[in-house]
Parts: sequence; structure tokens; C-alpha cells
Amino acid sequence: MESEIFGQHISRKFNEELEGLRSQVSTMGGLVERQLTSAIEAIVSADSQLGIEVADRDVLVNQIEVEIDEECGRILATRAPAAADLRLIVAVIKVITDLERIGDEAQRIGILAARLAAEERPANRYDELKTLADHVLDMVHDALDAFSRLDAEDALKVVEEDKIVDEEYDMISRQCITLMMEDPRTIHRFMDVSWAARALERIGDHAKNISEYVIYLVQGKDVRHTEIEAVREQVERAKEFK
Amino acid sequence: MGRFWQRAVLRIALLGGAGAGIGLLYDRPWLGLAIAMLAGLLYQLLWLGRLDAWLQGEKLAFLPEGEGVWARVFSRVDFLKQRNRRRSKRFKALVKQLRQATRSFPDGGVILNESNEIVVFNRAASMMLGFKKKDRGLRVENLLRDPDFVDYLRSDEQSEAVEIVSPLEPDTWLLCHIVPYGLNQKMLLVRDVTQQHKIEHMRRDFVANASHELRTPLTVITGYLDALSDDPQLDAELRVPMEEMSAQAARMRQLVDELLRLSELEADRGVVDGSPVDMRAVVETARQEARAQPNCPATIEAVLDSDQGLRGIRKDIQSIVSNLVSNAVRYTPAAGQITIRWWIDKSGAYLSVRDNGPGIAREHIPRLCERFYRVENGRERVGGEGGTGLGLAIVRHALLRHGGSLNIDSILGEGSLFTCYFPVSRIVAVD
Repeated sequence: MESEIFGQHISRKFNEELEGLRSQVSTMGGLVERQLTSAIEAIVSADSQLGIEVADRDVLVNQIEVEIDEECGRILATRAPAAADLRLIVAVIKVITDLERIGDEAQRIGILAARLAAEERPANRYDELKTLADHVLDMVHDALDAFSRLDAEDALKVVEEDKIVDEEYDMISRQCITLMMEDPRTIHRFMDVSWAARALERIGDHAKNISEYVIYLVQGKDVRHTEIEAVREQVERAKEFK
Repeated sequence: MGRFWQRAVLRIALLGGAGAGIGLLYDRPWLGLAIAMLAGLLYQLLWLGRLDAWLQGEKLAFLPEGEGVWARVFSRVDFLKQRNRRRSKRFKALVKQLRQATRSFPDGGVILNESNEIVVFNRAASMMLGFKKKDRGLRVENLLRDPDFVDYLRSDEQSEAVEIVSPLEPDTWLLCHIVPYGLNQKMLLVRDVTQQHKIEHMRRDFVANASHELRTPLTVITGYLDALSDDPQLDAELRVPMEEMSAQAARMRQLVDELLRLSELEADRGVVDGSPVDMRAVVETARQEARAQPNCPATIEAVLDSDQGLRGIRKDIQSIVSNLVSNAVRYTPAAGQITIRWWIDKSGAYLSVRDNGPGIAREHIPRLCERFYRVENGRERVGGEGGTGLGLAIVRHALLRHGGSLNIDSILGEGSLFTCYFPVSRIVAVD
């Protein structure tokens, strides 16, 4: 019962390889999601130990990325895939690069969390950072779901979401600057906060990239660097066509 | 042979006879017989054709009445057909009922095939896990990506359930249990355990906070007690009560420390990784600690059959061994013997502590690891000064954190044997 797009190979083994590849990407995605949740938890609860753990665990993410990369290379070499299969391999290679970057950003947040834990915390316990983080986490989750389900419409929603995240990030930076000007002694701390927010904003961008690869994978159309309206139009047209 | 069949045979005989008779008139009896038989055969074929047409055309509810044996065959077929129709109606109703039942089931259920692809799921599952109708055929780990769940799904050992955070709500906890059934089929059962989780959390927090709060006043009390007992002007008759107070305060201190330690161990649910721990050093430390205890038995023997160590957290492993040994010391008479053994075989690594104390009655063994559980009669304490009642609970939790387990064997009057098991993956070489 492989999904429709990839279910028509004479070689059952090939089907299994492709399905296995998708599962591997999901596993990597799950790990990255966990890393991100833990990193945010570390900031919010000022848990330096957890922050350091997250930073150390990034090795695992990198390891899986290398494994998947090798598997992709092997399939390309032995199966010479075409059409949708080729798109899948290409998309996977791109998706894991972005996932790995998300992992790196999570690592950075973990290190920042360990540093921030040593300092005085603001009364709102980094509430605005948490809101942004929850938003970003949802984006990553939805992008990975869209990849699993091969759902271009869900992917489009994630792409649209990115704008809100960018706005939230702007708000946090402005807030940080204001607070730094008010009391220069907090500059050090709020620099770290704004770095964390920056990392989260980057993660949002990576989630957006993943969604764009999903649209490419499902519809065979590259929608990177296009206006959101054009992307929406493309997704809707493909839906009608279907 | 039934009456019908007798009549059918008779009819063929008559037909044959008539044909042969007519043929005889023309001096060709065999030709006559052949023509008659042919006509009879065609007649039978006609009915066979009708039966076939009727069987094919399902809509033709009424039945050609038939003639002779055919009538009988037709009515039989009709009977079978009606019975089938009734049965399938009953089955359909049953399936419908089952569907409705699973839909109103409060727990989520997902049926997975051999490659963990989603076959069907009920409404609760789709509410809790966010599965959509079109997700059928997708591998379940592509949607439930929590690393703990994926590890659980891929491991062969699926007796225990795993708790994960809901993919939809970050504050919701789900207990997932995979039950294999049939041929390579699996059922994933999901239950919302957020409430239990919260209660458990509150309980742990309470114990941790309470122990922590008790520490401060205790420090003050022991501080003054120390200062007072050093006072040379102290009345001689107050010395003994003072010492008793100090001893009890120290005991309380130990109790509070162990409670904190236990709640710390409980809070960390996951299995830890750790670094190589040299078991020789651990056992040696435990022996020295035991020697320092009052009424230590004459012989504490250590048999180390392996040079290998364990991968884990030194503090935890030390507290496992020390707790077991100090328990043994407490319940073994001065003339007794305690043997600590460390060995490795194909299935894993083992550490055992054997004593020849009074032993434990069978009914107490399952409850021994509960907090504050003490055997009232069977195990007379030798030293009088007892432990806190938390030792074995700490041992059990520390073992769980290392993927191990504790086994207790005991015979009343002969002694007890506590054996810790560690999985093969924990064995490492130490230098």
C-alpha cells in the first residue's frame, strides 16, 4: 500500500527503498523537532543542563543526514530513477539539508539557553520568545507532515505562515533594542535573546523551504523565489487539474 | 436414492423404451433409442441453461419452477441463496454495530500492517493523533515522528507502553501501546494520560519540595545540637539525650537526602547513557562503607569474575551496590557472611549480593521495593539502627534508568540473594 505517486514500480524492492527513504527523513525530522522543543524548553525554564544536552545531541542529526545522503546517492546510482522518483530523491536531498540547518539553529539556541540560564530572567519568562518558538515549531511540524502526506496545499499554508513569523521576529528585535537602550547593563542578555529569536526566524525560513520542496515534489514545479500569490495560483491550478 | 430420482430414472427408461419401440416398427431399434436419448438430453440441457441464466441474473428474484428433478435442484439453490442473503445481512448489521462501537471508543486504535502502514483507525485516534482519512497507507512513523515512539515501534520488545507528547497539543500526553495480533498485524492503542501525568508530576514536585524545605530547619537543629554537645558546662545527665537527638537528626537528614535522591531519579524518566564505570572500584567502595557500619559481619567477600565495566552513571551504580550491601549488613548477624559477585554471561551483566541472614518471607518479596515498606516480623534487624526504607526503591529506580532490573530470591532462615541485571549493551571495557 505505498502511496500512489511511487506505487507503480515493477520492482517491489525499489518501492520499499523509496518508502524507507521517506521514513528515514521523517525520523530525522522527528529528532530535529525534539531538539527544537528541548532547546526552547531550556530557554523558558532556564535549564542550562538541558541546553548543553541539546547542543551535544546535534551530532546525531548530522549523522542521520550523512546516512540519508549516502542512501540517496546509492539509489541514484543503482536505480537511475526518473520523473516522480527522481523528484523525490532531489527533494529529499534538499529537505535534509534544511533539516540539518534547523538542527544547527537548535544547537545554537541550546548554547544560548545555557548562557541565559546563568543570568537574571525577565518577569515574563521570555514569553514573546516562547510565542515565536511555538509558531516556528508548528511550521516545522506542518512542513514535515506535508512531506509525509505529499500534500501541496498544507505545504502552501506553511509558506504563507512564514510572513507572520518574520513580523513576530521584527517585534522582538525592536523590543530588545528598546530594553537595551533603557538599561545598558542588560545589553549582554538581550543580545543573546535577540540571537535566539534570530535563530528561530531562520528555522521558520527553513521550514518554508521544506514546504516549497514538497510543492515541487508533488507538482513538479519549482516555486522558490516566487511571490506568494504566484505560488498559491500554482497550487490551486494543480488542484483543479487533478 | 430419493423418490424424485427413482422417478427420473424411470422416465429415462420409459423414454428409451418408447424410442426403441418406435424404432422397432421401422426395424431400426437402436436409431430410435438414440434419437429418444438425444431428445431427452436436449431437454435436460434446456433446464440447465435456465438454471445458469437464473444464477447469473441476480435480479431475477423468482425462480423458474422447473420440472422433475430440476424443480428439486432449483428449490435447493433458491434456499441456499436466501440463506446467504440473510447471513450477509446479519454480517453487515454486525459490522455496522462494531464500527459504531469503535467510533465511540474513548481510546484511539490504529491498525498497522507488517510494514507499519496505517490500515484503519477510529475516530478517537484521528482526534488524538491528527490522522486524516487519506493517511491510510502511510507509514505511521512518518506522522508520529517522536524519537521515543519511533524507537519503540522499531524495537521488538513491545510489552511496555511509551508516553509521547501529542503531535497536535504540546501539553497533552499520550500513552501508546502496540499489541501484535493475527499475521504480522499490529494494533496501536492510544490513551490520553495528561491528567495522570499532571497528578504524578504534582506528587513528585511535592515530595521534592517538601524534602527540600525540611532540610533548612534540620540544618539549624543539627548545628545547635553540635554546638551544645561540645559545651563543657553541659549537665552530665543531658549528654545521653543529646546524643540520641543528634543521632535521630542525622537519621532524619539521611531520610530527607534519600527522598530527594528518589524524586530526582523518578523525575528523569528516560534511560541514561553515561560513561564507563569500573565495577571493581564500585564494589570496593561498597565494602569499605560496609566495614564502617556498626555490627558489620565478619566476612564480606567480593568475587569479581569479569574485568568488564558498565556504561552508566557512577553515582547511580554506586548507590545501587552500596544500598544492597548496607541492607545485607543490616540484616546479617555478626557471624554471618556476605558475598558480592559480579559476572557476565551471554544475556547480560549481573551483580549479586548474597547474605545468610534470616531471609524474607515469600509474600513480602513483591512489595519490597515500595517506598517505606518494611517487613515487620520475618526480618529482625540486627543492628537496631535501621535504614530509611527507601534504599530498595532507589536501587530499583537507578536500575531502571540503566535499562536493568532487580531480582530477589530468599529462603526463610537461610538468607537472601539480590541480583541486579544489566543488558548486554551496557557492558564496556574499562582500563
